[in-house]
Amino acid sequence: MELNRRGFFKVMGATSALLSAGMGKARAAWVSKAPPDPYGCLVDLTRCVGCRKCEEACNDANSLPPPDIPFDDPVVFETDRRPDEKTYTIVNRHSSGKIDDRDKLVPVFTKVQCMHCQDPACVSACIAGALTKKENGTVHYDAGRCIGCRYCMVACPFEIPAYEYTNPITPKVQKCTFCFDRIIREGGKPACVAVCPVEAITFGKRNILLVLAKNKISDLPAKYIQHIYGEHEAGGTSWMYISDTPFEKLGFTKVIPEPIPRLSETVQHSLFSYLWSPALLYGLLGGIMWTTNKAKNKDKGGSDASS
Amino acid sequence: MKNKNIKTILLVSFSFVLVLSITSATPQSAYGAKTPKADDVSDNWIAEDQAKASKRAAEVVPFVDKVVDECRLFRQQKLRKMKLSVNDIDNSYFLLDSPIINKEDDQYGPVRFMHSKHAASVGDCSACHHYRPADENALETTRCSACHQESFMSDHPERVGLKAAYHLQCMGCHQEMAEGPVDCIGCHVKKVPDHADFVKLGVNPGAIEVTKECLRCHANAGEDMLSSVHWLWEGPSPYTLCKEKKINHGKRSTAINNY
Amino acid sequence: MHHHKPCPVNAKFWTPGVIVLSVLMGVAFITIAARFIGGLGYVTNLSTARPWGLWIGIDVGSGVALAAGGFTTAALAHILGRHYYEPVVRPAILTAALGYTFVVLGLIVDIGRSWAIWKPMFFWNTNSVLFEVAMCVMFYLTVLYIEFFPIVAERFKGNVNFKGFLSNFNGLIDRIITVIDKMLGKIMWVFIIAGVVLSCMHQSSLGSLMLIAPTKLHPLWYTPILPLLFLTSAIALGYPMVVFETTIATSSLKLDSEMEILTPLTKITIWLLGLYGALKLGDMFYRGTYVYLLDGTYQTNSFLAEVLLGVIIPWFILLSKKLRSSRKWLFAASTLIVGGVVLNRINVFIVGYQPPVSKTAYFPSIGEIAVTVGLISTLMFIYRLAVTWLPVLNVQVKEVSDEK
Ligand code: SF4
Ligand code: SF4
Ligand code: SF4
Repeated sequence: MELNRRGFFKVMGATSALLSAGMGKARAAWVSKAPPDPYGCLVDLTRCVGCRKCEEACNDANSLPPPDIPFDDPVVFETDRRPDEKTYTIVNRHSSGKIDDRDKLVPVFTKVQCMHCQDPACVSACIAGALTKKENGTVHYDAGRCIGCRYCMVACPFEIPAYEYTNPITPKVQKCTFCFDRIIREGGKPACVAVCPVEAITFGKRNILLVLAKNKISDLPAKYIQHIYGEHEAGGTSWMYISDTPFEKLGFTKVIPEPIPRLSETVQHSLFSYLWSPALLYGLLGGIMWTTNKAKNKDKGGSDASS
Repeated sequence: MKNKNIKTILLVSFSFVLVLSITSATPQSAYGAKTPKADDVSDNWIAEDQAKASKRAAEVVPFVDKVVDECRLFRQQKLRKMKLSVNDIDNSYFLLDSPIINKEDDQYGPVRFMHSKHAASVGDCSACHHYRPADENALETTRCSACHQESFMSDHPERVGLKAAYHLQCMGCHQEMAEGPVDCIGCHVKKVPDHADFVKLGVNPGAIEVTKECLRCHANAGEDMLSSVHWLWEGPSPYTLCKEKKINHGKRSTAINNY
Repeated sequence: MHHHKPCPVNAKFWTPGVIVLSVLMGVAFITIAARFIGGLGYVTNLSTARPWGLWIGIDVGSGVALAAGGFTTAALAHILGRHYYEPVVRPAILTAALGYTFVVLGLIVDIGRSWAIWKPMFFWNTNSVLFEVAMCVMFYLTVLYIEFFPIVAERFKGNVNFKGFLSNFNGLIDRIITVIDKMLGKIMWVFIIAGVVLSCMHQSSLGSLMLIAPTKLHPLWYTPILPLLFLTSAIALGYPMVVFETTIATSSLKLDSEMEILTPLTKITIWLLGLYGALKLGDMFYRGTYVYLLDGTYQTNSFLAEVLLGVIIPWFILLSKKLRSSRKWLFAASTLIVGGVVLNRINVFIVGYQPPVSKTAYFPSIGEIAVTVGLISTLMFIYRLAVTWLPVLNVQVKEVSDEK
């Protein structure tokens, strides 16, 4: 192969320009891309009565297929369910461990759906940007961009996105939409929230809900446990929970308080912003190659470099 | 006699105007849903008190922004001092059928809340009338929907909406007292959706086909029926021709309409 | 310079082994057809909690790693100028080109919307590690084909011989090939360096993939230096992989064993594998994750197997000059290293991955195994085909003259 001087320096000049630009950017620390004033939902588990109206409303609002077991059949509580490709939200029954004055176990019902993280791992992961975090807090899925790699599912710390595994050609990732189309309308509420008979779910601006949650907890410190699930989990989520039973007992997974994408994005950007490191490596390898080639040419008595 | 008749007709037609105005907001309302025609007025007769309750239910009163947060004990004493009792109640029952709720969703019929009965048995007005409006001139015991209206008002994030206020109050108390229903259909009639869209039957379907079609969705109801006495009854039938001697005559054995 | 020269191998093509390969390919083909009719759920055990399985762990994760022979030998022979190793570059490039082709084929089967695979080229998400991996794989595959082109050109230059109607174009095609080959020869250095750079980028990023799942990947594997470990292990794997495939190819085709190249090649591996092992163990001690080692769960056992069998034992084998010069021992050590890295990729993508909420377990289905085995068979089949028709492997000059 031939490596002539002019060609070599042309390439190297371009790379060094990239290099200086990239290293500057790489030094900048990771910044959260969370919207400042998103909507959110505060689920007060002490209020939920387990009527599963929210499941029904969600099914209706999102035109999902009818459930295998009807919405008014309490037999579903016998198993621990997870949202799936036909169900964006489910209500599970757990035991609080307490017994009421009629010697019955007091149940706690937990509604599960996408948490709409402030810095969502799924959004950071998505190869084609099919998932996006909107200004209003929604983590929105655009099937038109999706290639079905399922990296979002790998990334999500709450195991939320589900997949239409039985669709051979156009499967979609399925998860709670935060009723995006409804909440962008003035006064619109998510379907599950609107239907809830006891306002177990409060819908509003996340910042206000946080204050509300803190007030509720400090007003009744003996009732609530001192933890707002979703305030810090995964760097904060739009959906949050307060409860009178420890969250670990209710199937809530322990999630680190840092935004999940922080580490991978920091690594990725400090290595690759403006492609500085590949450029550097290219330059380095090019230099080595040029030197070894020159040495070889000298051996051959200065004949043209080719091999 | 004549006079009375005219009076009745007047009253009835008046109540129709009312019902109409209510039902136009909630077209599926179980109460007088049909459009009245001049000649079948008598079929749609509505009791006077019912009409009054419906009218009241349809009202949306001005929102009370500020309330006085009094402690329960203080309030109990205050109300007792005012000598408020069941006798002061001017509506013995309410229809809980507010348009504030119905515009969000309307799956269930309204609850008929027996105000006097609850007041008499609870004997403590402050159990429900927990706060009062800050306005001095307002009634001491105002209606729920004065303070609880839309849910999630941005200036009052802590205040629950009307629907939740009702449910939390009723179900909470019923649970606490271990008395009164806590499930949906204990208080509400479920609005039956129009089955014209669901039922898929050909022209002149046979009896078996009809049953099958019902069971398509109501499989559990079918199972229940099969274990109920309506299906299992048996007995002698001395008056049924040709079956006079059968002693195990019954729906599941020898009756003909057992589809 | 050498008495050996890359030539088409003159051996019987339809051996029993090749027939078995074809059968496995057939089974895989049927399974793939089933996947495109019934959906992924029909042939795989994937679920909401376990979205990635065997196909990502082996076809993609391990496939990319195993193709590392391509860039490591190219770097050694062309960039560092050790032309002594030139003979192993061609087969390594062939394996890499085939390996990456099958990574892409595996991906096409695995992703739900195969027809949409082009979309990331237009819809960028530069935060996504997978995006970077995909771009690099795409470019590197192109580079590999370009690097492989001279081999094809060498075979057909002055020798284009289509039959029938196409014979009119023989001269033209020959001219085109010759011109492209000449042009490529001048700028090949651009692609050789690019190949190495692209490889370093995505080999490491393959490790970064799992950085997004801190609560899901077992702490024995989850470390911020995961990309570095992936890169160093890929580099360490490069030459053993060359040994592995060359030994298999030369013994099955009854060629010269090339030990005089392979032995010094693996001497470099001592350093590279040592570096990888040191990083891996150092990281374990630094983060204190050794507390999990004796848990006795299948996860920690898998980790122990990966480190002991895949790194430490082969490292000691290579350390001994005597064992290194023995064809058998060298092959054993290389196999262990190759197996160790494959196990590492499986561990990171499958075994070490535990869904925190549902704790769903996963074991590949028959269908998944069939496709993976079938794709590997196809790869071997084409390798065999390629070395039979193209000048890839070194054949003793004498044999060649015999043939002529
Ligand atoms: S609708 Fe409200 S009360 Fe009913 S199950 Fe859902 S969250 Fe709980
Ligand atoms: S819960 Fe999962 S799917 Fe929902 S936004 Fe967070 S990371 Fe994405
Ligand atoms: S916000 Fe909408 S999509 Fe999400 S669970 Fe509620 S109803 Fe379903």
